[in-house]
Amino acid sequence: MRISRAILTTAAVALLLPLSACGSGGDGGGAGGSDASGKPEGEITFQTWNLRANFTPYFEKVVADFEKKYPGTHVKWIDQPAEGYADKISADAAGGTLPDVVNVSPDLVAPLAGAGLALDLDKAAGQYRSEYLAGAWASHEVPGRHGTYAFPWYLNTGPLFYNKSLFKKAGLDPDAPPKTYDDLFSDALRMAERSGGKVATLANVPTVEDFGRYGVPLMNKAGDGFAFNDPKGVELLTKYKQLYDAKALDPQALTATPESTGKKFLTGAVAMNPGSALDLGNFKKQAPSLYRNIGITDQITSTGHANMYVMGVMVNSRTRHTPAAVAFAHFVTDASNQMAFAKQVAIFPSTAGSLDDPYFTEDDGSDETRVRVAAAKSLKTAVNYTPVLFSEQMKTALRNQVAKALQGKESPEAALDNAVRECDTLLKQQG
Amino acid sequence: MTAPAPVPAPPPAPRVPPTPRVVPAARRAPGIRRQLPTSPWLFAAPGLLIAGGFALYPFVSTLVNSLTDRRVLLPGRFVGLANYRELLHDDMFWTGLRNSVLYVVGVVPALVVLPLLLALLVRRHIPGVAFFRSAFYTPVVASVVVVGLIWVWLLDERGLVNSLLEAAGAGRVGFLSDPWLLLLSAMAVTVWKGLGYYMIIYLAALANVPRELHEAAAVDGAGPVRRFLSVTVPAVRSTMVLVAALSSVAAFKVFSEVYLMAGPSGGPAGEDTTLVMLVQRTGTGLTGRVGYASALSVVVFAVTVALMLLVLRADRREET
Repeated sequence: MRISRAILTTAAVALLLPLSACGSGGDGGGAGGSDASGKPEGEITFQTWNLRANFTPYFEKVVADFEKKYPGTHVKWIDQPAEGYADKISADAAGGTLPDVVNVSPDLVAPLAGAGLALDLDKAAGQYRSEYLAGAWASHEVPGRHGTYAFPWYLNTGPLFYNKSLFKKAGLDPDAPPKTYDDLFSDALRMAERSGGKVATLANVPTVEDFGRYGVPLMNKAGDGFAFNDPKGVELLTKYKQLYDAKALDPQALTATPESTGKKFLTGAVAMNPGSALDLGNFKKQAPSLYRNIGITDQITSTGHANMYVMGVMVNSRTRHTPAAVAFAHFVTDASNQMAFAKQVAIFPSTAGSLDDPYFTEDDGSDETRVRVAAAKSLKTAVNYTPVLFSEQMKTALRNQVAKALQGKESPEAALDNAVRECDTLLKQQG
Repeated sequence: MTAPAPVPAPPPAPRVPPTPRVVPAARRAPGIRRQLPTSPWLFAAPGLLIAGGFALYPFVSTLVNSLTDRRVLLPGRFVGLANYRELLHDDMFWTGLRNSVLYVVGVVPALVVLPLLLALLVRRHIPGVAFFRSAFYTPVVASVVVVGLIWVWLLDERGLVNSLLEAAGAGRVGFLSDPWLLLLSAMAVTVWKGLGYYMIIYLAALANVPRELHEAAAVDGAGPVRRFLSVTVPAVRSTMVLVAALSSVAAFKVFSEVYLMAGPSGGPAGEDTTLVMLVQRTGTGLTGRVGYASALSVVVFAVTVALMLLVLRADRREET
């Protein structure tokens, strides 16, 4: 019968099409392969992460310079908003429309490398390795895999800002900010006590990088399991619990985002907040009274190594124009282009020797320069504490368990044990 | 003897087409099939294609994915009901289910009753009532993100509401730091934002209530409350059922309000996570677990259908 045949056909197609998705795709195979030795030519697409709004002239110049240097190439530059960037990449990757050259962070590279979508640059572009800081090049290695899956691009780190006026009101010396964790915790408790719990010193719950900076081992030596539930981790969480109970840690810290804590610092509800040289401009514009009272001190660490954030430029292993894509990724991240970019915005080059440039070593007395010089100095030994394999789901798992410990629903030991267990399960499922 | 008068011939019977005999399928001769014309299918084809491509296919795809361990970037293997078994042991699933059900329980009665009262207020033809109709409807057309952010500012530890409470000597309330208050605050925002929409539906229903019924009840001595309960409510009962069904489905699938107010992690320790938030958190990103998120989606679908059936059944019981 015609009707039932039509219905049957529709049902069969609806059932079989999704099934056909199982077992397809995945690893291996690329249209262009990993050989980057040929002549760079052809049209490639370059995707940046929320950079068009402020840096269009810079990128247009980079693209024009590249096309001039390599006749026969054409670079199409696209930019994606910051919000949902990982989702956009995952949709492109799943749909086979990932651009040829992509701006990524190490945690985005790991799953892409796992799916065989990131080109191994140790093989395809190993000759460029020595141009970059060793630590920066290594930041796009993925535990359990051989290879490096993105060129290091710009680095960032920053100081700890504090509100001198709030320090003064609490009877603390505004010119002697805390330098150690012990100082930080005692000053925070005093601030909360003197303000009747109205002014918190910190507004963020500890994240995985805070554990790293405190000297907690984050992963086991084999790199196949997490280890931040060790006694040092429990010690840090116990101290944060004391701060939370005394309101020295903002009561809304459990649901805070970097944006909301930044706002609290601007309004004087919080006395200290991490930031970068970029924030000084915001303070000047949005909170002039805070800017007049701003104090700047180094990140507090128990390890002697500040935390740094690394951006990278990945080459899609399925690009049809591997030589052009590799050449462009290298061109964007080479010393001269990174230096030019660093002069546009408060970021730091990952190329060897660039941080010795007078721009990063000579202090002209302004706050901006002071922050820049101090940050560049700390970057030479800085570490990207966030493990490459630490996914968004793992961050949420840790955050929720930390919140339980702070609320007193779990002991710090049990909370960290639970977090490690959840993260290990997610790591195994990640494959 | 006279010849009998000739009997006029009866007029010819009108030609009535014979009534078609319906032959039960079982008695039809084999080989004789009723062929439907193809033109209706051609007319329906665009709609069917859209429904098939954008509703049926994704639905079946979700069902199939829920039986695999598929990830965003990696193909899946068939794992049977493993995802469903896993969610039974997932604390966050139960938290999400609890919050979604609580959301229905907290929001639906308010969205069934309050818009009706508002509609009764603004249906009168008095000067300036158009302003109030527009004012009550404004939150409906406002962006949920903007509305959420405004309420976050209002309910912040140092926001307007807490400043007023503090000025009144009541002390600050942790609307955004206490998990239960946070959920209640999100419910309040949902109710506030939905009032105008359902008010419009009730206004249309109230326009169909015959005025004579109210007049007759008034003549019989019924006061305003009695008239409301005995005339208005029975007259708009089917609309109330519709509002209950629509709002319960929307409440069970709540995402935006809670996400904006509680943050991506779902409030302190994830205590305010709803089921749809859990689907989003589990299934998105480069490491998203599509298989597990699909299993969660199937549960959301099943509960939503159950809710609809529950509302309709309650309505049928009332009718009998």
